[in-house]
Amino acid sequence: MRSKESGVSRLKSEARNILAPVFRLLTPLLLSPFFLSAQTYTPPRTPDGQPDLQGVWTNATITPLERPAEFAGKAFMTKEEAAAYERRVLANNDADRRDGGAEADVGRAYNNAWYDRGTKTVPTLRTSLIIDPPDGHIPPLTPQRQKQMDEIRRAAIGHSTDGPENRALTERCILWPTAGPPMLPSFYNNNYQIVQAPGYVMILVEMVHDARIIPLDNRPHLPASVHEWMGDSRGHWEGNTLVVETTNFSDKTRFRGADEHMRLVERFTRIGPDTINYEFTVDDPSAFTKPWTAQIPMTRTEGPIFEYACHEGNYAMADMLAGARAQEKAEAAQAPKAGN
Amino acid sequence: MRIPLVTALAAILTAAAAPIWAHHAFAAEFDAKKPVKLTGKVTKVEWINPHAWIHIAVKNADGSDQEWMIEAGTPNTLFRRGFTKDSLAIGTDIVVDGYQAKDGSFRANGRDITLPDGRKLFLGNNNAGEGAPEQK
Repeated sequence: MRSKESGVSRLKSEARNILAPVFRLLTPLLLSPFFLSAQTYTPPRTPDGQPDLQGVWTNATITPLERPAEFAGKAFMTKEEAAAYERRVLANNDADRRDGGAEADVGRAYNNAWYDRGTKTVPTLRTSLIIDPPDGHIPPLTPQRQKQMDEIRRAAIGHSTDGPENRALTERCILWPTAGPPMLPSFYNNNYQIVQAPGYVMILVEMVHDARIIPLDNRPHLPASVHEWMGDSRGHWEGNTLVVETTNFSDKTRFRGADEHMRLVERFTRIGPDTINYEFTVDDPSAFTKPWTAQIPMTRTEGPIFEYACHEGNYAMADMLAGARAQEKAEAAQAPKAGN
Repeated sequence: MRIPLVTALAAILTAAAAPIWAHHAFAAEFDAKKPVKLTGKVTKVEWINPHAWIHIAVKNADGSDQEWMIEAGTPNTLFRRGFTKDSLAIGTDIVVDGYQAKDGSFRANGRDITLPDGRKLFLGNNNAGEGAPEQK
């Protein structure tokens, strides 16, 4: 019969065994400057007393939104893994690829010199920007929404160049899918300027130069019948965290399969002189089987924000449609004449 | 409820394709079956979003000039790297390897742009670290 003491030590040792992986996962997070500063930092105040988020910030990072297969089951990279990942991603981004033939070559028209995607993983060394669900992936679409999206795709086949309205919002200089909200890193222009005034926070997005003006006075959202490209944002402070709730989205943006019923909650917490911790939670029960949350650091960067002025130089829209018309004409000329 | 099908699709497709295609799908604009190699002098550079355009004068066989427009990337990134309107001076001889517009107009995307001294200018070659060519 085992003594009481050995039973206790066995329990302790089992607890250690069970908890070891948890500590292994948590240690990089707990030791990261990102987390330590979050515990201790008190941000300065604006003249009207808001925690100060003002400045020009970038959310460029090479950490992907969803966890890559190579890190399956692993929430954090080790430092060595992060260094190797950075080397690999940068080498891949810089590669002068000539494979895939002319079609691929046309699409691959320019290289990393034109991009500004960042060169680092996030400081937490998380393997994905998504922190919930814990697997680092966007939850699956509901069967109904999946069906709807498939129908949308099918209906669009053969119509992509009918007219400018058929082209993407980016090509029409309306909205970039990562400009948000929610704001996600893209391959360039990942810059945001935050300006605070009494009762308001304004976020200027460099990509397609959208400005989001967020009132802080608890006014109600717009009537449900009103839909806006960037939705209707309302903010309030919870301690040092700016919480912004956005509703009244447009069904033309369809963020990751969500629709106009998406409810987005963003949380901005300045955790150091040069870092804002940005978190957002997407909730749209008609689209996703459960809500999901991502965490992205925004780092202070040099300004200014440059104007995007998209329409002025958008020759490409006319070129794409003219190209489609020329192709149709050529195909019609080649087709056998009716009655022959 | 009726969904504006095609518009929604366009947004979805772009989100999915973004890492490869930048602001728009080059494949919709340029013809993979029409590769071009152009030699000409820079006459104008439009540093405008969503894409910069480099204008060059290409000599025809009869000695006359044909203007071509070469599509490049977003200027904001280049500004941030210190690349200014003086970085690619008017009158510079460049060689462009690219693909002509599908509608047959004198526009192309620049797969490679090569300077007189053989340096490749920011397209299609691994020279991201080199920065802008020196000002003259």
